[in-house]
Amino acid sequence: MTPPNAARRGRATGRLAGTLSWAYALLLAAPLYYLVVSALKTNIEIFTQPFSLPADWLWENFGTAWQTADLGAALLNSALISVVAIAVTLGLSVPAAYALAYQDNRLSRLITGVFSAGFLIPPFAALIPTVILAIELGLFYTREFQMLFLPASALPLSVLLLTQFMRTVPPALVESAALDGAGHWRLLVSVYIPIAMPGIVSVTILQLLTFWNEYLFSLTITGTAADVRTAQVALPTLLSDATDFGVLAAGTVLTLLPVYVAYTMSSRRMQEALTAGAVKG
Amino acid sequence: MPSTSTLARPAGPGDTAVAHPPRANRRRRANSLQSARVLWLTVPSLLWFAAFAIGPLAAMFVIATMRWKGLLYEPTYVGAENIGRVLTDPTFHAAVRNSLIQVAVAVPIMIPLAFMLGYHLNTKPRGYRLLSVLYFSPGLISISITGMIFYGVLSPNGGVNGLLRGIGAESWATPWLADPGTALAALIAIDLWRGIGWTAVLFAARLASLPADVIEAAQIDGAGRMRTMWQIAFPMTLDYVRTLTMLQFLWTLFTSAALILLLTKGGPGTSSTTLSYLVYAKAFSQRDLGYSQVVGVALLILGIGGMILIRALLRSSKENTR
Repeated sequence: MTPPNAARRGRATGRLAGTLSWAYALLLAAPLYYLVVSALKTNIEIFTQPFSLPADWLWENFGTAWQTADLGAALLNSALISVVAIAVTLGLSVPAAYALAYQDNRLSRLITGVFSAGFLIPPFAALIPTVILAIELGLFYTREFQMLFLPASALPLSVLLLTQFMRTVPPALVESAALDGAGHWRLLVSVYIPIAMPGIVSVTILQLLTFWNEYLFSLTITGTAADVRTAQVALPTLLSDATDFGVLAAGTVLTLLPVYVAYTMSSRRMQEALTAGAVKG
Repeated sequence: MPSTSTLARPAGPGDTAVAHPPRANRRRRANSLQSARVLWLTVPSLLWFAAFAIGPLAAMFVIATMRWKGLLYEPTYVGAENIGRVLTDPTFHAAVRNSLIQVAVAVPIMIPLAFMLGYHLNTKPRGYRLLSVLYFSPGLISISITGMIFYGVLSPNGGVNGLLRGIGAESWATPWLADPGTALAALIAIDLWRGIGWTAVLFAARLASLPADVIEAAQIDGAGRMRTMWQIAFPMTLDYVRTLTMLQFLWTLFTSAALILLLTKGGPGTSSTTLSYLVYAKAFSQRDLGYSQVVGVALLILGIGGMILIRALLRSSKENTR
């Protein structure tokens, strides 16, 4: 095969790839568009004209959804659980990652192995024992148990990722800090944490997103009571026999909004975080 | 990766204790930092992990040996009885079949398509920023929001049927989630909708770190786009392909319960009951915890088996291409 021939074929397959990639993008965008326009319509209009822009823009759907699903309280619950859980996650995983990055011996590799094995645990199979644990601790149907449990589910990925980032600390730097009399605490706070900061930010974004989006555990452990339930649990309560699809779509948009706002504010960071998570996972 | 154990190495020649007495003290201190005691710092997270992750995993095996009709009742020990009940139950057979179909269809479609899209994205075509934002967005959308979106899209009067009516293909319209012939297919389609673009972005990130000169050299040698993609880029990123294949396999197998709970409740009949949903349904709606946990153990075994299989498959293909 001669190069010009290959180049021509390359351009052809390139065009094909381009077309297909946009077709898939359209497939991704269409349901999102359908969601947003439906949020401003009545049921009848959604059924008869699914993809056209609303004839009357029914902004009150948002108000109805907000009140019916008590979304204000639910979003606050989600925020509270996510923030406490991320604080606990970092509090546990940063020192552990420091130790694992600092000390490389058989024991530290064993500990790393224990965390790696965590990926193999089927989360929903362990759900029932987790519910029993919550009952035993007297924390069933509370937000507190979720705050304790979510960090544990986040530990394998967080510890492994942070260890990778902390390994990038140059040994010479550690040596000179140690010669200046820095103990482990000083080393961690003034050498490791600043250098591993991109990793810490990545883990924070990644796990915040996971905690915010968590559904089945929140449903079963925190429960559906209006004062404790999270936004993800509150949303499906808009489903009923006489579902108002417009209100449902409006509620969905409202629950999605915080994540998209966060994404537009830090899209680059967020992409880095999510790709880093899967790369090391 | 320079391991931290290099710290234990004695300091350089200019650093001798005789020449600089104060430094000797400091170095002793530096050496004392090198003790295994630093690993105590992992204890809190290990304890936490043991209490909330390993403990429940171990309890799974114990509960699997009990007859336990819901959390309000007292369990009784029945040994292996639950295993027999599960293995002879047609619902379990249906769930195994559905789970196998789900992973056998979703993963082999998702990974190659995502790899090709990722490769395309990595060539930075026009508008690739917009593309990558779109591809990325399912990764931001929670499972309950995905559920709500597709509840609307796939309902009898929803977007898909509206579209079919719009192009005059009315006869194709069906209640996608309530039709036993399409329920599982619809769930797999949602998996693919979510997964392909998101995985493509991950592949693009990995491909971006390949040395550009290797790809260039291949093209100068006359390798076409397809050849460069599959015979150069693919083998070079095989480790990553394997990791993502394993992750997608585990996600599909382990976490399909949430979407099924929201959209089909395993039905109609058992047409969309997967193993992961069966674990949930048996425990919370049919109040049979022993049965549920036997399925949980089956899921764990299947997960580990699948990982070993994927490892073997993607290793041998590496040797073939070389």
